[in-house]
Amino acid sequence: MTKRLFFVVVLIGGIAASRPISAHHSSSSYDMEHPVNVKGVVKNMEWTNPHVFIFLDVKDESGAVEEWRVEGNSPNMLTRVGWRKEMINPGETLQVNGAPAKNGSKVMRLISLTLANGQKLDGQGFK
Amino acid sequence: MRNHFLVLAVAVMAAVPLVLFAQSGTHRPSPIRSWATLPNPDFSGVWFIEEYHRNLLPNEDPPLLPPALELFKKVQHESAHHDPNVAIDPTERCIPPGIPRTELQPFPWEIVQARDRIVQIFEYQSLVRQIFTDGRGHPSDLDPTYMGHSTGKFEGNTLVIDTVGFNDKTWLDPMGLPHSDAMHVVERMRRVDHDTLENTYTIDDPKTYAKPWTATKTFKLHSDWSIKEYVCTENNTVK
Repeated sequence: MTKRLFFVVVLIGGIAASRPISAHHSSSSYDMEHPVNVKGVVKNMEWTNPHVFIFLDVKDESGAVEEWRVEGNSPNMLTRVGWRKEMINPGETLQVNGAPAKNGSKVMRLISLTLANGQKLDGQGFK
Repeated sequence: MRNHFLVLAVAVMAAVPLVLFAQSGTHRPSPIRSWATLPNPDFSGVWFIEEYHRNLLPNEDPPLLPPALELFKKVQHESAHHDPNVAIDPTERCIPPGIPRTELQPFPWEIVQARDRIVQIFEYQSLVRQIFTDGRGHPSDLDPTYMGHSTGKFEGNTLVIDTVGFNDKTWLDPMGLPHSDAMHVVERMRRVDHDTLENTYTIDDPKTYAKPWTATKTFKLHSDWSIKEYVCTENNTVK
């Protein structure tokens, strides 16, 4: 009885929360608490809804190349904070900061990236 | 005699511009209006949620009935442990978010106010919602839908929106708060100031919650934004 009450109280504490959980939609499968930095060469970009995808070739310490899929927000919101499709092209080098998939796959949720010319772009598009 | 004439001439010359001005004033056309100034408040504009959260952040703890609580626990567990390529949240499969969630998505929506209805044009999934303000009630033979059937009436500066006819295929928020097809949503929407819209939602769903509960959200005007197309299924990779 006490155990169930405790569980219900804990759960309800998460609903009408005094500390709102602020995060991306559908970000629960990414480890937002432990973002990583990755540097890679753009293979291609899919500039579509619901998400912009950037496919990056990333060299690991041994020199082997692995492909990462970087998932950003909708281009609708990204263009409102300065993105243009023409800013990212195959062959260009990007520095990416993102939240990696919790299941260990080479997929990450974009937080921000830096272009070769130094320009920084926000991956979400709103606060 | 000549002095009088001069004074008169000067007076007439000075008066001519005044007369011309007065004449042009009376001949200036008034702005064309198709109907008298709207007596109801104006909610027109492009609105965007002021603070996006994955929680609806109710004002009171929603009193989930036991079966609904079990469902909510299951959804929360699955959401925290799923493969990013598999959808748990229905919106990840491009299912419409329903009401109130579609208003709370981090995408703008526009209100177009007509005489007999208010139309919400949502950028998210390019959804459209009609809130009929012509005094009609809800049809008795409603097929359950994602967005429900909405009617609205003005109470002073507040638009009261009444929505029924939901299916049970949507979540109330990204955390997965559930609802049934018995849900009845009442929204009290008012324009707090020129740039701010406040909406208080009352969720009344006797199959899911022991009693009604409320949540309040604010939206800001973005007059420099226009609603863009958003085709969710264009490149949706989750299953």
